Amino acid sequence: MESDKGGCTFLELLVNLVINGLATGMLIFLLAAGLTLIFGLMDVLNFAHGGLFVWGAYAGIFTYMFTESFLIGIVGAIVTGALLGLITEKLIITPVYGNHIQQILITLGLMLVLQEMIKVAFGPNGVAVKTPSYLAGSWEIGDVIIIKYRLFIIVVGFIIFGIFQYTLKKTKVGLIVRAGVQDKEMAQALGIHIKQVFLYVFMVGAALAALSGMLMAPYSGVIYAEMGMEYAILGFIVVVIGGMGSFSGSLLAAILVGLAGSFMAYYVPVLSLAVNMILMAIVLIFRPQGLFAMRKERST
Amino acid sequence: MNTLLKLNDVHTYIGQYHILQGINFEAMEGQVSVLLGRNGAGKTTTLKTIMGLTPASKGEVEFRAHSIKKNPTYKVAKLGIGYVPENQGIFADLTVEENMKVAMRKEDTATLERQNYVLELFPDLKKFWKKAGGHLSGGQKQMLSMARAFINDSKLILIDEPSKGLAPIVVEKVMEAIVEMKKQTSIVLVEQNFMMASQIGDTYTLIDDGRTVHSGKMKDLIHHEELKRKYLGIG
Amino acid sequence: MKMKLSLQHLCFFLMLAILVLLPFVNDSRTLMILLTQIFIFGILAMSYDILLGYTGIVSFGHAMFFGLGAYTTAVMLKQMEPTLSTFFISIVVGMILAGFISFLVGLLTLRLKSHFFAMLTLAFSGLFLVVAEKWRSVTYGNDGFTFRAPEIFRDRMTFYFFVLACLVVIFIALYRFVNSPTGRILIAVRENEQRTKSLGYNTLYYKVIASIVAGTVASLAGSLYAVSLRFVNTSVMTMDITLDALLMTIIGGVGTLVGPLLGSAVIEYAQHALSGLARDYPIFERWIIFFGILYILAVIFFPKGIIGSLRMMFWKWRLKRNGINQSSVALSQEKERFE
Repeated sequence: MESDKGGCTFLELLVNLVINGLATGMLIFLLAAGLTLIFGLMDVLNFAHGGLFVWGAYAGIFTYMFTESFLIGIVGAIVTGALLGLITEKLIITPVYGNHIQQILITLGLMLVLQEMIKVAFGPNGVAVKTPSYLAGSWEIGDVIIIKYRLFIIVVGFIIFGIFQYTLKKTKVGLIVRAGVQDKEMAQALGIHIKQVFLYVFMVGAALAALSGMLMAPYSGVIYAEMGMEYAILGFIVVVIGGMGSFSGSLLAAILVGLAGSFMAYYVPVLSLAVNMILMAIVLIFRPQGLFAMRKERST
Repeated sequence: MNTLLKLNDVHTYIGQYHILQGINFEAMEGQVSVLLGRNGAGKTTTLKTIMGLTPASKGEVEFRAHSIKKNPTYKVAKLGIGYVPENQGIFADLTVEENMKVAMRKEDTATLERQNYVLELFPDLKKFWKKAGGHLSGGQKQMLSMARAFINDSKLILIDEPSKGLAPIVVEKVMEAIVEMKKQTSIVLVEQNFMMASQIGDTYTLIDDGRTVHSGKMKDLIHHEELKRKYLGIG
Repeated sequence: MKMKLSLQHLCFFLMLAILVLLPFVNDSRTLMILLTQIFIFGILAMSYDILLGYTGIVSFGHAMFFGLGAYTTAVMLKQMEPTLSTFFISIVVGMILAGFISFLVGLLTLRLKSHFFAMLTLAFSGLFLVVAEKWRSVTYGNDGFTFRAPEIFRDRMTFYFFVLACLVVIFIALYRFVNSPTGRILIAVRENEQRTKSLGYNTLYYKVIASIVAGTVASLAGSLYAVSLRFVNTSVMTMDITLDALLMTIIGGVGTLVGPLLGSAVIEYAQHALSGLARDYPIFERWIIFFGILYILAVIFFPKGIIGSLRMMFWKWRLKRNGINQSSVALSQEKERFE
């Protein structure tokens, strides 16, 4: 190992792989969190989530480039995500509510349209992205080099997780969402306007996906139209492994997937996507409701 | 005495199945109105139609003289109708406290007083305040469900087969609770347990094959052997 | 009922006659190539309809099987003698592989919610695409490779008739399949799986059968596709292929078997026409967006597609003609078909 990595110690390698994995995991978590909440509450599997991701990336990055402020770029991404979420929920999800097949088909169609619109606007080639200067570069701690931006992503991920957990567990709104995930009908019978809650959850989920896209951009260095679909697949894998509707499940599963991918990419690169597939297949065989599910799986 | 709830020639379809084929029903203020009938007669569907979970396609549904037929479920609830479904509808992963909290539409003094009242009525709930709803016993779930329906200022509470699957001693507790609740609100009760229904019910409406076939005062039904045999299979 | 059947049979033979005579009347090469593609994708779309239209399963990984057939045929024709027998063997091998994989994937996921199957097939097809890209020694990655087709197919017209024959055979086979007792059970599963289960049928078994049938037929389409181009690359494994099948089935009409054929004709022709226009007017370059939007509108407003809507109108006309009031039951039954 020392010879082909040019003087890198095992500790450094381990730390880097772990940080890499955690960072990727966090990004996928942001994507999957929205997906799992939307599914848990509304019984809708949003195949267009990847489209929200890539639009968040483009909107955020171009806002960043235009205003020269990374922070404003992030805000831009979040706003774009929420707006797109609003439009999607009202125009696309609501008309086919209740019909699973139509939902699946239509959200995929939307994904397609969103992806193609990016290509129309920005061309089929990718756009290169720079990391903002204050987040670029790395720190040296002893022998180990840690890339700043990755740490940033991990911190942001945990903060967001913390905010959401607090909201879900300690606020009335969170209570309503959790109750709705368990039993929509009963929540309505208690006077809760569940359709409105749907809308808000969808918008929040969309905003999270867009944020994830925006944060991903400097990490990978380039944004391109197909990235939505690619990351969405990882998002789905995480949702399956973590359990549909389980917020904390999606964090744990995302970390697992991120770490697995990171280690695989180093040791056996060819298998890195496969290892996550295999994880997913194992979960499906032995515990189809996911590792941390909140609801009994119904088979329809 | 005021008519609180009135159903007139109500028809309900579930998919292509014509479940309710002409339900007539009245619930009076301050009374326990019982819906009786065999399994599959349409009693639960009647409650669901009132709540808007399975909306009526024909006929009239009036609550306090206003039509609620086209109202979405949450609006019906907000108008002051509480619902205690057959499976209790307890949010399993939420604690007893959270189940109560999520039901509260306002957190004012009146509501908190009602919560205290209902906890006196069901002391078990106080005992298991922080326990997850899914870990409660059948009887406790039933009590929680009724407490939840009561906690807002409900003018009418629909209760679906509360005694189902419960031990006789627990059934007695439930009956006591309903009689207590009757002092402050009105109740529509669906029950197959005729003993319970006849003891606490004031009026009855017999449903068969999705239609109302008979109604009147409960004390008259108790001695009406023919009706009991024909529509309830008793005697 | 009898009258309706005869009308359908008449249409069928008429269409067949037209297609058979066409090459003799019109010798445009472009037309023949276009029609051949329409037939090939028609086969693919029909296979997709078995899943979506008849069993009610949404798969996003259909390209896997198409690509599997395409690569199997291409690799075998390249590595071995490009004879007719190799070709036939490659078709069989492809179908066996596809059948096996659809069996595995089906077994893993069909017991769960429809969402799972959709997600997993999406993920698996992504995996297959990556394998195709990376396994350069066999697939030559994104660049792909050319190969020689059997001599007899050098003549476009012979190939045209061969593909048409395949289409007719598959169509008849699938038609009989969906009208067989097994096919009826698939439809029952689509309508109400719980009920079918409670009647004692092992629905998983039937869904897996549907999956295998669909996968093998898709593989055949892939094999034909490879030979039609004499070239194969990773594009046969991409989402585009699955989306094509999906669009064709939805727009043509799910659950009708004929619908997907019509859908294939519409979409292949449109792609052809729009690509032509794109050369002159760049705005058409991203014509796929129009299809995406059309598709979304179709799913919301015309879930039955062209053929389905025509049939619905025909039904209404018949009911009216017989003086029967359009009873809510009959119409709601039709409505239920796509719910």
